[in-house]
Amino acid sequence: MIKTVKLGLILMVFCVISAGLLAYVYIITQPRIVRNSSAAYDLSVKEVLPVASSGEAVRVAPRGYGGPVVLLVGVSNEKKVVGIKVLSQKETPGLGAKVVERGFLDQFIGKGANDPLEPKKDIDAITGATITSRAVCEGVRQAIRGKK
Amino acid sequence: MSLWHDLNQGIIKENPVLRLMIGLCPVLAVSNSALNALGMSVAVAFVLTCSNLVIAAIRKLVPDQIRIPIFIIIISTFVTISDYIMQAFTPELYAALGVFVPLIVVNCIILGRAEAFAYRNPVLNSTLDGIGMSLGFGLALVSIGVIREMLGAGSVFGLTLFNPAAAATIMILPPGAFITIAFLMAGLNKLENKVQ
Repeated sequence: MIKTVKLGLILMVFCVISAGLLAYVYIITQPRIVRNSSAAYDLSVKEVLPVASSGEAVRVAPRGYGGPVVLLVGVSNEKKVVGIKVLSQKETPGLGAKVVERGFLDQFIGKGANDPLEPKKDIDAITGATITSRAVCEGVRQAIRGKK
Repeated sequence: MSLWHDLNQGIIKENPVLRLMIGLCPVLAVSNSALNALGMSVAVAFVLTCSNLVIAAIRKLVPDQIRIPIFIIIISTFVTISDYIMQAFTPELYAALGVFVPLIVVNCIILGRAEAFAYRNPVLNSTLDGIGMSLGFGLALVSIGVIREMLGAGSVFGLTLFNPAAAATIMILPPGAFITIAFLMAGLNKLENKVQ
């Protein structure tokens, strides 16, 4: 009994030291982490929407092959796509992961609510990644509809 | 002599990936490009060296029955520290490694070395063992990364060598990792047979 309590106490001492150390590192790094992520987001917004007053940057996350494909789509006040960027994706390397390439994404620029936005119709799909290509099309449609 | 032995043991003779075949999960997952492989190696090296050092230093204070939970607390503390530091100072690398950083906690190389070496040896020897094992892990991981990226995407460290359309995509998909590891292991065994 005494032995068990003693073991528990030793374990607790290790936990307390570890927690204290982590709290210290957290306090030091947290401001930088927050700054990094908001700076990265602001930069992405500027990329898809060069002039802030001309439209809205809409974040959509359609379901791809390996999880959500998070997109930031710049939609102008005329409801046309002016910029598009992939914020995060977990698609297959070498196939669906090509979704980040400009050659594919730039096809969406200039599209609007009246375009079909479908692979084989007005969009050339990524070879071997139909699901990913369809997801991006779906995301762009959502973004255009979502723009107020 | 013994110190040198502790350092170089992990590099080739007991290479964690190619000889001991432990920690293969992150090896399969992040070796699809040379840069990811290098980033993962650096993170593992930090955690493995620090945890070996600390565990060796406190080994006499740790009761036998609860050594595993204590090792895990120490390892996960260092993993979380490296996770925060990467997020704060190298966000691009953090984005590329993503989920695999927290997974270093369960990398069997680290717990394996804590149990098999650091718990029974002095601080200096354990630190050298950590550095040697990290070098061995890094060497294997980066070699696999370079080969896979070269054959599968036509580039090395992001520098294009030839037209990616001519590359064998399978090499950057999971089967490519198994194929590459198998060839490297076979090569190393052949080399060792020759030496003997």
